[in-house]
Formats: sequence, C-alpha cells, structure tokens
Amino acid sequence: MGSLVGHKNSRAEYNWRLTPFANLIGALEAAPGDRPFVTAWIDEDEQETVTFAEFRRRARAHAAILTRKGVTAGDRVIILMPQSIAAMTAFVGAMMLGAAPAFLAYPNFKIEAAKYRSGLEGVTSNLEAKVVVLDEGFPEEMLEYILLQGEAAVFRLDELTDSSAQARELAAVAGNSLAFLQHSAGTTGLQKGVALTHAAVLRQIQHLAGALHLDGSKDKIYSWLPLYHDMGLIACFMLPMVCHVPVVMQSPLDWVMHPETMLQIISENRCTLAWLPNFAFQFLARRTPAERRGRYDFSSLRGLINCSEPVRAASAAEFQRAFSVPGSVLQSSYAMAENVFAVTQSVLDGGSAPACVWADAQQFRNCHRVVPVAADATNAMQFISSGRLLPNHQVRIVSEQGATLEQGWVGEILIQSDCLFQGYYNRPDLTAAAIVDGWYRTGDLGFVLSDELYVVGRKKDLLIVGGENIYPQDIEELAGTHPAVHDGRVVAMGVYDPQLGTEEIVVVAELESEELLGSGERIESEIRSCVVSGMGVAVRKILLKPPKWIVKSTAGKPARSATRDKLLREHPELNREREGEDT
Amino acid sequence: MSPEAEQMITHIRELIRRPGIAIDENTPLVTSGLIDSMALVDLLLKLEDLTHLRIPAGKVQAKDMNTVALMFATAQRVGRPRK
Repeated sequence: MGSLVGHKNSRAEYNWRLTPFANLIGALEAAPGDRPFVTAWIDEDEQETVTFAEFRRRARAHAAILTRKGVTAGDRVIILMPQSIAAMTAFVGAMMLGAAPAFLAYPNFKIEAAKYRSGLEGVTSNLEAKVVVLDEGFPEEMLEYILLQGEAAVFRLDELTDSSAQARELAAVAGNSLAFLQHSAGTTGLQKGVALTHAAVLRQIQHLAGALHLDGSKDKIYSWLPLYHDMGLIACFMLPMVCHVPVVMQSPLDWVMHPETMLQIISENRCTLAWLPNFAFQFLARRTPAERRGRYDFSSLRGLINCSEPVRAASAAEFQRAFSVPGSVLQSSYAMAENVFAVTQSVLDGGSAPACVWADAQQFRNCHRVVPVAADATNAMQFISSGRLLPNHQVRIVSEQGATLEQGWVGEILIQSDCLFQGYYNRPDLTAAAIVDGWYRTGDLGFVLSDELYVVGRKKDLLIVGGENIYPQDIEELAGTHPAVHDGRVVAMGVYDPQLGTEEIVVVAELESEELLGSGERIESEIRSCVVSGMGVAVRKILLKPPKWIVKSTAGKPARSATRDKLLREHPELNREREGEDT
Repeated sequence: MSPEAEQMITHIRELIRRPGIAIDENTPLVTSGLIDSMALVDLLLKLEDLTHLRIPAGKVQAKDMNTVALMFATAQRVGRPRK
C-alpha cells in the first residue's frame, strides 16, 4: 500500500533521551552552563556568543520584565524583533511564565509595506496577545497596524539594560499546555497560528535528534533561517536548545545580501548541520564566484538538509559541482509547522546521498504513476527521496476521491503522528478543514516507494493540461536553462481556456537585460522547443519581461501566485475565467 | 553633489531604464514606484561599495532608501567601517 508507518520508538535505537523533561524549559535548565549556545554572527568583526548559563540568565530577566507587564500563564506574547539573541531570550522568557510566544516577521525593506501591514493586522487581531514586544527600532508608522484588545500593551524591549530584573519562582509549566505558536509563511498563512504543546515539541525533537544522531558535545548548527519559520524555530532554535547543541546564526537579510558568508561561517566554525530550502543550493552555487569556492572547508559538515520545498535533483547537483562536497552531505527532509517540524529524514552518516528513482515521465504525467526505468531511458525523470518516516509517524497517499493509493502512485500526502498540532489558534474553521478523521491533509503531492517518501509538488500548483499532470517546476527548470533568461527567474502557470476545457501553460521569464527583448521572437521559440523536447508539452504563451519584473518572495525566489496576479493584471486577455482558482 | 552620489544616480538610471525621468539626490524612488523593494538589495550592495561601509540590512527600512540623499545618510547612520 501507499501508506507508510514509522516504527515505534525503540529505546535501544537512540542514545539520546529527553523523557526526563516535563517541558521545554526543563530541557534548557539541564544544559551544561559553560557550553556555548547561540553565536549571533553579524560580520567578520562582530559576533556575540552566549553560553547556556548566560542565555538562561537573560531569559529569566525577560520573564521578569514580562511579569511586570502583566503576562501570566496562558497568555499569548507576540515578539516583533529582528533576528537576535534578545528576541530568542524574550521568546523563552515568555515560555518560562507558561505563556505562549509567537515570532512574527520583522518589517524590512524587501517586504512590500501594504502586504506587511495587512498581515500584521490579521495575525495580531487573531492572537489576542497580552503584550507585543518590539525592539527599539521598530518603525513608528507600523504601530497602528498592531491590533490589540482590552488591556493589551505594546512595549519596546531595550537590549537588557535592566540587568537587575530577577525572575521570581517560575511557573510549573505542564507538558500538555501550549508552548508556542508558529506561523507558516505567506500572506494567507499568516492567519494560521499553529498551536503546539510542550509535549508535542519534545516528542518531535526526540524523534528528530535520534534520526540525526545528534550529539551536543560534537555537533554545531549553522542557520540563516528566520525564527518565525519552522525550519528556523524548530531545527535551529528548539532542537539545539533541548539537545544542548551550539548554533551559529545570522540574519536572513544579511544572508540574502551576502550569501557567501554562510560558507565562511560553516568553514570557520566547523559547523556540522544546516537546513536549507531547495532554492538556496542553486543560489549559493551561482552567487559564489568560481575562484573563491576553493577557500571554504566543508569537511566538518555531516548534513546540509534540503527541506521545505520539493527536493530537485538539479539543484543538489549544481551545488555539488560548484563546491565538490560529497553527495552524502546533501540530505533531505520533509517537514511542516503543523507537525512541529519533520515528518521524514534521510539517513545521515550512512555514506550515501538520499535514495532516488528514475521514472517514466509519460506515466508520471498521464497516470500520476511512478514506473521505475533506467536512468538513460528516453523520457526518464529523476526524483529524490525526502527520507524515511520518523518514529510514531504514518503517511497515507490518497487520490482525489480520498482512496488510499498503492506504492508508486502519486496523490495527496496525509499524515498522522504523535507530534501533530492541536489546531490553528482561534480558527476552528481552518482546523476542521485541515484535520480530517485524525489525518492532517498536507496539500502536498507525493508517492511512497520502498519505504521512502518522495514529495513532488503542491497540489494547488499542479497544472492539468489535456489530462496530463504538469508540475510547474519542471517547466521552469527547462526554460531557465536558456542563456538569455536570468537565473531562476521563470514562473510557469496554468491559465484555463474555457473553449478547450483545459488549462494551458503560460510561461513568464525575466531576461538578463532589456536589450534582449529585441530578440524576443527568437528566444521565445528556443524556449518553446526546449520545453517541448524536454517534456513533450506545448507552452501556449511565453511572455518575456525585463529584469526585476517577476515578483519575488522575501527570500528572493519567484513568488508564484503574486507573479500570476501581476501577469493577469497586465495581460487581462489571459484571464479568461480560470475555474478552480486556488483558494 | 558628491562623486559617490553621482555614481549612485548613474547606477539607478541604468537599473530603471526610463530615460525620460530625471533623477537627482532628492527624487523619491520607492514611494513613487520607480524602484521596487526587490531592487533595494542591489542598491544596498552598491551603497556598501560606494561608501566602503558594511550596512546591516536589518536596520534599513524602505523609507531609508527613498532618495539618494537618504541612502547616504542611512549609510552614515547604520554603516560600520569594513576591514
């Protein structure tokens, strides 16, 4: 069957255990005081490291400040601060009181102001927080978009000037109480505060630490991931906090500006683990000049874990070519905030890359079925596994009609586990739609083969053209190989044609320079034939645009739905009643 | 106008490719829609080059980059000397 069951957690299998901890704070309290915990890396000249003891001291002081502001157990605390040690100690300080903190994205020059303001209004009104903690630099003009109720207060937390603040006896926090809320990315996602208990987070960390063979005395994590995202919050903050692992962190913005600094930090600090979304592998390879790639030493790395987007074979291959790292370093995981974090993890330290399969592309697109073929077969396409299930996890692959599918058939991924979320905070409507009969509907498409889970795309992005299932990423990858197209700046989408009764493929591609628009006809026809020969599907329309046209996400990758909206605004002729518009 | 500000203006002209539009030190760029927020990464990198300062991106908001004059003032305010 296409369902997978993770083995029961067996004591013999893991050398690390957190069962003695009643809650996340208990795990922090048990950390060796003199071990470094967080290093905030600003640049070559400015770094700050706090030990576990110092982190605890600052978190307690923040708990004392929050107490004075009236925060008690059961309250929500919003933290709107730039990525920093102070933001992390404020978060833990709130948890020490039994309150549930939530990190929200801090405004920056790359986020469109209108979008940010509406997201901020939505999320603050939904959370009904007792306090909103800001840093001193939070822009005045944004304050009016923080919606508060009753006696709620907003205050600016200066860099712990109040060193005299001492916490009273901290609340005994029950394992089944709410630990924090994490928000999934995206504007609509902002309304979804994923509610997680201490017990669920601890169970996830136990499973994950086991799968990673994590060792606090040897491992060191690197991260540029935002703390409001599950990869940043769980893999790079809660996991190291609970398992007593040092972490070196830089801000996502600093990384986007100078991506190469990540390589420098890993190399100089001998980091062993990092998590990255798929696009970052390509981004790093393309933004690091060839003559500088040899400077970095990656011999300390056990795993660069490709997570949060479908794993693309081409991205991993490009990174590997650029930096000559062993294939066994590039690992994979499938994760989501609703399950605290990871559902699967590939095998680290086994000396091999994640499993992969070559499958017949025609069968995949026409029948949603994976039929393995030889790598050199005509029409062979490659899929990289996201790994095996963590213990106490189950996956079912279901058809559109909800029937459980056999191995090798592609369908929606449903999951069940012992660390699944309680629901979306204050949103029983969204919770009821997401959890059906105890199974969480992920909205992702994938298949199971030989006990491995493969994730192929988002259900809502899938294009259905004349009965064939087309993944926009496949078209984007092909179109992006044209030398006139700016790296990675291609978006493929389906536009419904009511006369044909099917979707047709529209591709929008950004050119390297405006001058190239003069050769638009030639470039269009070359892209068209590249997609036809690579995938056997015809693109109805190719729209070439000048540099900077495609709407990008805060991380710098094309934002599919925002780009589609912009395209349909500029080209109303394309918008011929697209039924089934994603919701 | 400083030579650096002139170089920045030339860079912005090349970036926006709208020959009919005059740009000086005080022309609003973000609020007028001449440049989008994504282009600001590019401008911030250029600003680092021209000023020889390291500019912590997290301390910069779009309004701080609205004009060329503001950009250089922002660099002076939050930038730090580079080795």
